[in-house]
Amino acid sequence: MTVQAHELTKDYKYGFHDVDVSVFRTEKGISPEVVAAISDHKQEPEWMLKFRLKALDHFFKRPMPNWGADLSGIDFDNIYYYIKPVDEMGRSWDDVPDSIRNTFDRLGIPEAERNFLAGVSAQYDSEVVYHSIRADLEKLGVLFSDCDTGLRDHPEIFKRYFGTVIPPNDNKFAALNSAVWSGGSFVYVPKGVRVEVPLQAYFRINSDNMGQFERTLIIADEGSYVHYIEGCTAPTYSNDSLHAAVVEIIAERGAHVRYTTIQNWSDNVYNLVTKRAIAKQDATIEWIDGNLGSKVTMKYPSIYLMGEGAHGEVLSAAFAGTGQHQDAGSKCIHVAPNTTSNVVSRSISKGSGRTSYRGHIKVLPKATNVKANVRCDALLLDEESRSDTYPYMDIENPDVTFGHEATVSKVGEDQIFYLQSRGIDEQQATALIVNGFFEPFVKELPMEYAVELNRLLALSMEGSIG
Amino acid sequence: MTEAATAAGAVSRESLEACLATSPGWLADRRNAAWDAFTAMPVPSSARDEDWRRTDIGRLHLDRFAPAGPAAPGLLELARGRHATALPGAALIVTDPDGTVTIDHAEALLAQGVIISSLEEAAERHPELVQRGLSGIGIDDSYFAALWNALWRGGAFVYVPAGVQAMTPVWVSHLAAGGDAAAFPATVVVLDEHSSLTLVEDLIGPGADPAARVSVAVTALQLGDDARLDDIPIQQLPPATWHFQLRRASCGPSAHYRLLGATLGARLQKSYWDVILDGRGSEADILAVCFADADQHLDHQSLQLHRGPDTRSNLLLKVAARDRAQSVYGGLIDVEPGAIHADGYVVNRNLLLSQGASASGVPRLEIKANDVRCGHGTTVGHVDDEERFYLMARGIPADEAERLVVRGYFADVLDRLPIESVRDWLVSLLDSEIGDGGPSRFGEAG
Repeated sequence: MTVQAHELTKDYKYGFHDVDVSVFRTEKGISPEVVAAISDHKQEPEWMLKFRLKALDHFFKRPMPNWGADLSGIDFDNIYYYIKPVDEMGRSWDDVPDSIRNTFDRLGIPEAERNFLAGVSAQYDSEVVYHSIRADLEKLGVLFSDCDTGLRDHPEIFKRYFGTVIPPNDNKFAALNSAVWSGGSFVYVPKGVRVEVPLQAYFRINSDNMGQFERTLIIADEGSYVHYIEGCTAPTYSNDSLHAAVVEIIAERGAHVRYTTIQNWSDNVYNLVTKRAIAKQDATIEWIDGNLGSKVTMKYPSIYLMGEGAHGEVLSAAFAGTGQHQDAGSKCIHVAPNTTSNVVSRSISKGSGRTSYRGHIKVLPKATNVKANVRCDALLLDEESRSDTYPYMDIENPDVTFGHEATVSKVGEDQIFYLQSRGIDEQQATALIVNGFFEPFVKELPMEYAVELNRLLALSMEGSIG
Repeated sequence: MTEAATAAGAVSRESLEACLATSPGWLADRRNAAWDAFTAMPVPSSARDEDWRRTDIGRLHLDRFAPAGPAAPGLLELARGRHATALPGAALIVTDPDGTVTIDHAEALLAQGVIISSLEEAAERHPELVQRGLSGIGIDDSYFAALWNALWRGGAFVYVPAGVQAMTPVWVSHLAAGGDAAAFPATVVVLDEHSSLTLVEDLIGPGADPAARVSVAVTALQLGDDARLDDIPIQQLPPATWHFQLRRASCGPSAHYRLLGATLGARLQKSYWDVILDGRGSEADILAVCFADADQHLDHQSLQLHRGPDTRSNLLLKVAARDRAQSVYGGLIDVEPGAIHADGYVVNRNLLLSQGASASGVPRLEIKANDVRCGHGTTVGHVDDEERFYLMARGIPADEAERLVVRGYFADVLDRLPIESVRDWLVSLLDSEIGDGGPSRFGEAG
């Protein structure tokens, strides 16, 4: 029996976890020795070890952020920074250990993989345990692997781009990630190649006090297209877990990258993620970012519009239940002329949950003829719910059209009344309204994710009274 | 002010002692506590303090400014001239930076039982009313509020008793300090229940005088149950002025506060406009225009604090910036847990007229009650190529065209000024500010 009975009594649907089968883990806490041990275990080149140690220095020097969510619950000394669950990378599904397969089976991954997916890069603890790439992708020259493999097998591409979008000293948690990163995805799409099926990765945290520091690097060469999907669910643990990922995207001239996230960590995880994309001339970046889980999320997917004609889109949805704080948003930095960006954010607070939209639009002096638009809407479901909006804007060029709008409201009594008058009970009516509110986000998701999201929303809405 | 005090700086123990000498006991205690708070506080820093991030006062050295002497010759006449042009029927209070206060045309209001006096005199004669007026201003609310609480001089005080609808408006002129000196203008207004008043507050100095000066001002407005206040603040300080202001209106049940203001002057302004909607059903409408040019850095911060149920607030700030001017806006709608059915809205619009002008802003919402309706909007735009083409094609010179466009942009705010003579005067002030720019850069914007 790999599922512990007491975990099943908790509310969280995916709150089961497996007996720990890790074969290598560093000691708790962080130090140059721990960082060196990770690098040594991975048999990395010297430059990466130096990069890690320098980043660790930045991590120690940087203060904790004094804005945003409450991070006082994080105890950096009480976290394992690296755990390797199996000796070898799983080559086929059958090679994956039973206990791990069991977890994934409950999430429905294998079917999804068999039926739809281009490749599954399923992260279990810190290493990729299962990984396959469909043959036709290989034929196109698309590289899709975990990041460690990317470093080992494609050092020239990897080194050219790694750490260039998010430097190790960008912020405290990016510095931490740069020091102890492990796993994550490496994607390279060659010139002119369109990847028609989405690339997917499933991340899971499994060990108690386990920090997850995956690193994703996506390079879309000129005129290419790729859609990358990252989804998360995590077992519930009694101690807090820290998730500090870094995602870097480079869209070369005319490339189009869409990055979709469904974040559903269990409600004891601190999810502090740095995501940033660079859009060169005529390139398009889209962040589709859903935040449902975690205790605290601070995440602001960013787009640097560096080349003329570049376009950025951020579509963000957040749900905060009791005890949760979703501090999410976006940044669009217009560096080049004729660039455009559009941000749409929808958030819902329930119980004592708190959602915050925090965004930044910046237009630099040389960026003429910029169009930028930000739209935030928030819905409050209960007396104690809270919602904040912090939209920063800095416009340094007169030739700009910028608009920002936000609203906060409660579920309309009229809406509930009319639904009830048609025989729908109050709870169902509220759920319908919530689903409608998230519609702009949900309709951008692939079908199986849309189904999963609706199911998760329905679960989250249980017991709510409008 | 004594000889000994003038030897020391404006911000000094000696200045405090001079203020204490003319203060009743309760006020002296307040000044002392404020001074202690001020000396214990760090100077606001753009590196450390969120709401100062975009306004850097690292080059301000308060200790280099002298205490203000009497106002410059001709300033009193300037104040009277503006009053006579815009609203001659209003009672006039002119405050000198050295503490002298002159009051004219107040007979009609005094006959109604309205109290009009210098704030210093009111602190002596009506301590409980002045305390009520200052109750919304904490002595250590901020660095500059603490400084003001310790060192304000002279000041204007107006009290409108219950049920009295003031027959004439009150016009308060605060005259700027001389060159290299600091002034601490003060306005305190208390409206008792069911009363009403129109207030104009005109901050002025000697035209284009390039000398540096400091102005630290507080305007404290208390609105009792069902009171109505129309508040018209005009800021047209000289071009090298550092201006710091806190303007706070506290609203009782069903009170209605309406601000309609214009920000034109100063080199650097940091202005806080706060409305505190305490009472059930209280309302606030804040409408303002701001024209910034040359190297002006004009920073407006607003707070719409909804504490009571059924409260409503609406803010619209329209800024036009030219040359290298910078506009900074920070706004917060804060809805407290008990403020059910709160309705709050804030909009900041910016028109950038030249390459080099910039606008930044953060209209924030913090909503802790659920049965509310809140929203905000921000826009930044420029003069449309078609508008420009059309005007130029009609043979309208570039500077005239710019004036027309900016006037049109400000029109929806100015049109809501209830007093026509004040509106016409304000339009003429704006026209001359816009025209002051010399050869227009209007044609270069595209």
